[in-house]
Amino acid sequence: MTTDSPDKIIDRSAKLVFSFFLSSAGLWLLTAAFFAYLAAAKLTDPFFLSTCEFLTYGKIKVAQANAFVYGWGGNAIFAVSLWILARLSQAEVRGSFFLIVAGVIWNLAITFGLLGILDGHMSGHEMLEMPTEVWPAMLISYLIITFLALVIHRSRQIKETIAPQWFILAALLWFPALFLIAWHGLEINTARGTLQTVLSMWYGQSLIWLWLTPVALGAAYYLIPAVLGRTIDKYYLAIFGFWCIAALAPWSVVHHLEGGPVPMWIPAIGTVMSIAMVFPIAVASTNFHATAFLDIGKVWDSLPLRFVIFGTLSYTVSSYIGVVFSLPAVAKITQFTIINEFHFNQRVYGFFSMIIFGAVYFALPRITGREIPIGAKSFHFWTSTFGVLLLLLAYLIGGLTHGVLAGQPSLEWSSAVIGSIQPYFLITKIAFVILAFSQLVFVVNVWRVIFPNPLSLLATGNKEASV
Amino acid sequence: MNEDSQKLDNSNAGSEFSDEEIVKSHVELSKTKHEPTKNFLIAPLVFVFVFGCLIFVCSIQLAHSTNSFQLHPPVEVVELTAEEKEALRLERKISSGEKIFAARCASCHQANGLGIEGQFPPLANSEWVSADPGVIANIILKGLKGEIIVDGKKYGTSAAVNMAAVPISDREIANVSTYVRQAWGNTSSEVTEEFISQVRAEHSSRQDQWVGDELKALFSDSFGE
Repeated sequence: MTTDSPDKIIDRSAKLVFSFFLSSAGLWLLTAAFFAYLAAAKLTDPFFLSTCEFLTYGKIKVAQANAFVYGWGGNAIFAVSLWILARLSQAEVRGSFFLIVAGVIWNLAITFGLLGILDGHMSGHEMLEMPTEVWPAMLISYLIITFLALVIHRSRQIKETIAPQWFILAALLWFPALFLIAWHGLEINTARGTLQTVLSMWYGQSLIWLWLTPVALGAAYYLIPAVLGRTIDKYYLAIFGFWCIAALAPWSVVHHLEGGPVPMWIPAIGTVMSIAMVFPIAVASTNFHATAFLDIGKVWDSLPLRFVIFGTLSYTVSSYIGVVFSLPAVAKITQFTIINEFHFNQRVYGFFSMIIFGAVYFALPRITGREIPIGAKSFHFWTSTFGVLLLLLAYLIGGLTHGVLAGQPSLEWSSAVIGSIQPYFLITKIAFVILAFSQLVFVVNVWRVIFPNPLSLLATGNKEASV
Repeated sequence: MNEDSQKLDNSNAGSEFSDEEIVKSHVELSKTKHEPTKNFLIAPLVFVFVFGCLIFVCSIQLAHSTNSFQLHPPVEVVELTAEEKEALRLERKISSGEKIFAARCASCHQANGLGIEGQFPPLANSEWVSADPGVIANIILKGLKGEIIVDGKKYGTSAAVNMAAVPISDREIANVSTYVRQAWGNTSSEVTEEFISQVRAEHSSRQDQWVGDELKALFSDSFGE
């Protein structure tokens, strides 16, 4: 590789922005992990930190979800999307100054938003709990970043676009659309009665399906061919999968209202669209796994791809489980149980985060020119795999137990029902500790590559002092 | 850096796609629609078949579970048998009678139907109640004066008591007399609204309250004399 190859120039232009977004994403990841542990600990021991007004369960739980989705998710999406778009367009990242300024505003908005949540100024809408005062700052900073991402895409060398570009650009544009619809319907021109509940729930779930999911899918569509050196198998299906997600996902999410006080057709349509979601899930998993299993040895050898394939496998399995849980007969048991935690965590940990980890491990050495020790990466992979599987299994089995027991009125609630779910809460607490540890390793890996100098400066300073 | 990581990086570098190659090859793929192959393609057929089945299942589900896009869930229609309807009607009649009794009769006759000794005659286990329904109907319609003997004890004063001083409809009288005739261990027959109307019409010209002996004479059959 010569120093003047086009990729090098692109990477150099993306370096500052990528490092900024990634290091802030890392900090949010640790914040979310801390909150997740506190929330899990409160479920096993109700008196844990019970005297602290800022750390009640309701606040912690919400703060964790927001820190995870907007803090870690948002920053990671900016970092990964900008880099992949720049690479595929063969165009440099421009306007780094504005990107950094927008990023600082975004992060400050979330910081104040979380402080507002902990102080009790929640808005009460799903995934929009941050006080309404920070919403404009979030939207404006997001639009600046999206605009500059579109600038990169506009200056692309090849006119035709491919799957990763569709997914990433769509996700970048869908978020402000969702956000504006929810903002308009919940605050500006407040919807009345049932519609407000439906809208709030729709936003919270669509955010995951139309923002986090497409970015992760796009990253997978990019990384698999890039690492394996072969094209996506049955690529002609990808366009179909893309439009299916666009058309069906925002409808399918309303199946979570099954059994709620809404007109019957809302959850009924949600259920039907969830069943139809089998199309895009089947397409994506065929594309990814048919390609990956042609050369499974190489997937195993390449750590970034191992993360990605874990993510896509988890996407496939958990999405099918999600389809089954949307059926009214099953929802009768699983509704209003800790299965809801399973849905959230499988999307954000098992799928989105794992693919982002893979993308970061793929991009970071290319951007900074410094390699992360394979042992550290491998350690991160195994701890997060183990932690995610432990977490999801505990929520899945615990949720089914919860649903079956809660459906029997003869059982005494506090001893029989809660008593038999308690062990699963303990397992999730352990899983969150493992995940927190694994995420700490990830952040240390990333920070050591991005900021090698402060540590070495500190070390030499110490040496000089000791000498 | 680490030996392993160097090795990994080099082994990948050989066969990795450059970004330009990724874009170009996939653009090419989407133009040719599928990879050239000798055999016919099974995957598209499987997909078309599976998706066809899914669309079918989804349509059936949609037709069955959307409640025709109505705002409210359908009202459940329960078909009752003739006996169940009759039992339900009687139950409603008695519960309506119980309310009327509590509001208009219980202050004197007491909620337990035992009355007050020497003043207000009991209704429980009273031959005046269990006699022909005409007795209770007439008393409620016109009132009663003088003394009567119930269960061997003397009740009442010379002052006239008019139960129907506040207007009361035939239906209400039927309900409350049915309640009284079937409460506190009484097991007499139901009183219908039509019967009350008939009694009202029969004695419409009468102005005074009844006297006990007068009623006894009128319904001598049921007082066993």
